[in-house]
Amino acid sequence: MKLALVATLFAGLPFAAVAAPTGYPLALENCGTQISIEKAPQRAVGLGQNSTEIMLMLGLADRMAGSAVWVSPVLPELAADNAKVQRIASNTPNFEAVVARNPDFIAAQFLTSVGPKGRVGTREQFADLGVASYISPTDCAVTDNNVSDGTRKQMLTMDLLYQEIDELSRIFDVAERGRNLIDQLKAREAAVRTRVADKASDVSLVYWFSSADVAGDAWVAGKNGASGYITKVIGARNVIDSEQEWPLVGWEAIASRDPSVIVIGTMDRRTQGADDPVVKKTFLTSDPVASKLDAVEKGRIVEMDAQAMNPTIRTIGGLELIADAVERFGLLK
Amino acid sequence: MRRSRTATFAIGIVGTGLVIIALFVAIATAVAIGEMVIPIDRTVAAFTNRLGLTAITVPRLEEAVIWDYRLARSLVAASCGAGLAISGAILQSLLRNPLAEPYVLGISAGASTGAVSVMLLGFGAGAISLSVGAFGGALAAFAFVVLLSNGRQTADRTILAGVAASQLFNALTSYIVSTSANAEQARSVMFWMLGSFAGVRWPEVTLSASVVVVGLVICIWHARALDAFTFGEDAARSLGIAVQRVRVVLLLVTALMTATMVSMVGAIGFVGLVIPHAARFIVGPGHIRLLPACALVGALFMVVADIVARIVIAPQVLPIGIVTALVGVPFFSVILYRARKAA
Repeated sequence: MKLALVATLFAGLPFAAVAAPTGYPLALENCGTQISIEKAPQRAVGLGQNSTEIMLMLGLADRMAGSAVWVSPVLPELAADNAKVQRIASNTPNFEAVVARNPDFIAAQFLTSVGPKGRVGTREQFADLGVASYISPTDCAVTDNNVSDGTRKQMLTMDLLYQEIDELSRIFDVAERGRNLIDQLKAREAAVRTRVADKASDVSLVYWFSSADVAGDAWVAGKNGASGYITKVIGARNVIDSEQEWPLVGWEAIASRDPSVIVIGTMDRRTQGADDPVVKKTFLTSDPVASKLDAVEKGRIVEMDAQAMNPTIRTIGGLELIADAVERFGLLK
Repeated sequence: MRRSRTATFAIGIVGTGLVIIALFVAIATAVAIGEMVIPIDRTVAAFTNRLGLTAITVPRLEEAVIWDYRLARSLVAASCGAGLAISGAILQSLLRNPLAEPYVLGISAGASTGAVSVMLLGFGAGAISLSVGAFGGALAAFAFVVLLSNGRQTADRTILAGVAASQLFNALTSYIVSTSANAEQARSVMFWMLGSFAGVRWPEVTLSASVVVVGLVICIWHARALDAFTFGEDAARSLGIAVQRVRVVLLLVTALMTATMVSMVGAIGFVGLVIPHAARFIVGPGHIRLLPACALVGALFMVVADIVARIVIAPQVLPIGIVTALVGVPFFSVILYRARKAA
């Protein structure tokens, strides 16, 4: 029954009514602010790689005026479209650089870019210029993100990402494309659930993003973020029991929990000592304590795009990767 | 109320003994506590096993945590405490400035610039490590301050040069980070700013301990010259001391010692300031006693500070620089206040 449904979804067949065209002005509640979209944006700016990539996936490249805050290269299938959109900055641009693109809409991935203490600007600053801003619902749920990567009280679910795709697609009056994208992602999620379905209850994981000093304390995924979601879907356990998105944890603490699988983040960034996955692996196999961990001795180390460890459209890919790895390691019951 | 020489000597011996015992107790405590709960008998067994005295079965992971993590960590803490305190004492004497110490002189800022240059600008094309970069940066900052404050040594000049160095190197670090190719997701370069003992193992113990022992010996060798420097360079010269040579040798030793520490554990402030002053209260200004006292008290202070850093918000670890600054800043204030009264 479940499989049949999955098969239907994979075929991309619509199972709900065709999406209605957007009526403007469109009123939305976003991140605790009431926003009103007067007409479909023609010059949108994406601040944050995931926001930009969602808009590109919705086929909106020719309605974008710029992008910024890039963590890694664009998804290969989006490269051609992305080339049409001017990159304002790879890093955080200043307010004027964004305004100079004459935008009519801002989609931001992080409150740290556009928010009460946004490094680009506040939502009021953009509103004063008549520019509506939209913040990813995945980041609205994160608090205290001014000093660290913040705290997430409630477990992330992909529903927040689907909400973002749905809302962005309605803002641009391409609700149908949004629904198709959501259906595809949901089908992939469901397929993993069916395949793994509670057979990984003895599996414990740690997700290592990076460290300032490779042998020092590590930034590992807390229990409620994207990695926590991946862990929950496959029915496994994250050994880190913290509501912080990326708590700093020592290797003795990780050793005392001796996880059965270690997931290491891969990324293009090289500002921190352990950003390079090769450095991470060398440490795991040579450190006197880490090398004696169960996961290391049994070779259960998985490399995963660090962006999949944050709430992005890549998270589903991460979910599939972890499910495959756990199966390959023979850890499913 | 003058004490006889014998009495002073006896008090010195007893005091030294007490500090050494306290240091051993502190290290034992540091080894016994941690995230991983290990019964005390297995902790002792892990220790004696590695010394080759026993062959008791201890889980390999526990033995490695005791020996390679906790013991190494506390020994590096002791070495760093000793090294930074000695460096502080030397700088205070050479620069004739009670506020001189490595941290105030911008060395930490230089270390972070060095580390970031290696990571982001690809200095050395992967052949040199972060630590080497930090080491080079620390030396560069040190040279900058010494050059700027050279000539007539006044308290103002040295501190001003230190402030200038800190500003310059912090700005360079920020510049390099903000012009890097990818967006930084919040995670900041905290490590070099506040220090951490989390990443140290036995190779760091060997390096830091040997640097400190060699440094201490060289400094004690120059103890008489250092005493003379307290009264100014002219006084020292009139006592037949090769002022320039001694200055260069001691500044170099201090720079090498602090650069080694900073490249290993990041910048840990105020130890170099607080400990020499505290030690002077106990043993007086004579460097022949002051320097070993600084080494012992500095080691003890840092091991205890690390224990505090580890337990105060467990399971998280407070950056060690925060603990030392929380003790150091009030002390710094008292010195400033007293200096105001004296002037």
